[in-house]
Amino acid sequence: MDRYIELWVDSLPQLLLATAKITLPLSAIAFVLAILIGIISQVFRSNKFRPLAWLANVYVWLFRGTPLLVQLFLVFYGLPRVGITLDPWTSAIIALSLNTGAYVAETFRSAVASIPRGQFEAARTLNFTKMQTLRHVIIPQAVRIALPPLGNDLIDLIKGTSLVSTISLVDLFQSGKQVAAANFEPLAMYLEVAAIYLVIFTVLSWLQSLLEKRSNRYMRSVHA
Amino acid sequence: MLRVDSLTKSFGSQTILHDISLSLEDGETTVILGPSGSGKSTLLRCLNLLETPESGSLTIEGDTVEFGGKLSDDQVRTMRQHSAMVFQQFNLFPNYTALKNVALAPVLNGKMGKAQADQLARDLLVKVGLEHRIDSYPEHLSGGQQQRVAIARALAVSPDYLLFDEPTSALDPELEAEVIKVLVDLARERRSLVVVTHNMAFAQKVADRIIFLDGGQVTYNGAPSGFFSSDDERIRKFLNVYEMVDYTM
Repeated sequence: MDRYIELWVDSLPQLLLATAKITLPLSAIAFVLAILIGIISQVFRSNKFRPLAWLANVYVWLFRGTPLLVQLFLVFYGLPRVGITLDPWTSAIIALSLNTGAYVAETFRSAVASIPRGQFEAARTLNFTKMQTLRHVIIPQAVRIALPPLGNDLIDLIKGTSLVSTISLVDLFQSGKQVAAANFEPLAMYLEVAAIYLVIFTVLSWLQSLLEKRSNRYMRSVHA
Repeated sequence: MLRVDSLTKSFGSQTILHDISLSLEDGETTVILGPSGSGKSTLLRCLNLLETPESGSLTIEGDTVEFGGKLSDDQVRTMRQHSAMVFQQFNLFPNYTALKNVALAPVLNGKMGKAQADQLARDLLVKVGLEHRIDSYPEHLSGGQQQRVAIARALAVSPDYLLFDEPTSALDPELEAEVIKVLVDLARERRSLVVVTHNMAFAQKVADRIIFLDGGQVTYNGAPSGFFSSDDERIRKFLNVYEMVDYTM
């Protein structure tokens, strides 16, 4: 046991550095982009101009329907064949944000769809404009509904970043793999890697429950 | 005045309203009655343009829209200013307090500033007996209280005609009574009300005019006394369901 503790203490700085340099920034940037993509998809899908809606639907279909690893390889190894060569970091951002964006688009779509029709009618009878309805009626309610699934999308994204090790980025997982290859202690190293992912997950879950409580302040279940 | 001329509305191949014409005077309480599926709610929703008829026209206080072509947003907004709907399911905004539910529309419609709208909302909530629930969210209110907030919300946009789509059908009898009381108060103030309801006591005692719809057509349009003593077979059949026949004899 003492030996394991020593292994963990020795390798921890290196793993945390990889987490701070790759895993966390990659997740954060890709998630912000994914939310933007999700918003744009939702705007396209609710647009009266149908070709935009089809475009968004095809995008969601492609990126939800194929594995993230395949998408990552297509961007990094595939695109150079048509003259587009991207560095690993850019490739990772593109693949991760497009992949997560498709899930976020679905999250937004189902959140808006679950707002009762009566809410839209109340806004119409009170003569709200489309923008006023969006701002005061739809968005506040959709955000509350979307928060839990959005948290899941983020957590899936963070775990998905472990795949960037395949395109030569040294993230948390790749860093653990390198240490294990050097000290021949795969059990100790991968347990440590798993524990760090778990800590990130736990902190995020806690933040999410705080956020949900705040956004649910007007609902009865929270006060009861 | 509210006037409907030759209004026709269908959903798909099914015609819901056939060539409806009627006119209502300001200050009157009109109750629309009719069997289930007769088009009562659809007619009411057409008055607020929540449904768009295929043909005919609607005139309220001098503004007219002709149906048939595409209506512009401006046309719809101008017409809609003349009326406001109170829904069976209340449809309050759950993310806002009672006060904000009422005060929101006058501000967004550009009619007044926030302070003035808040004062108006306060006054209207007092009027419907909810001075103690001003800062409550809809989820914390009973159905009857929610419906009274919804009435205050509709009053806040100062519509010429207040439209009620089965306002008490989702409520228990004791909660129904508190909402009916508000409607009676509004009728006594000579507000122009158009009410689709199953509350026969309200229709008989409060209405100035009964409109009876059957199969998408107006088959009675006149005083309640004439309606409740009518010999018309369809009206007798309708009233029998409510066991109202002996009551009026």
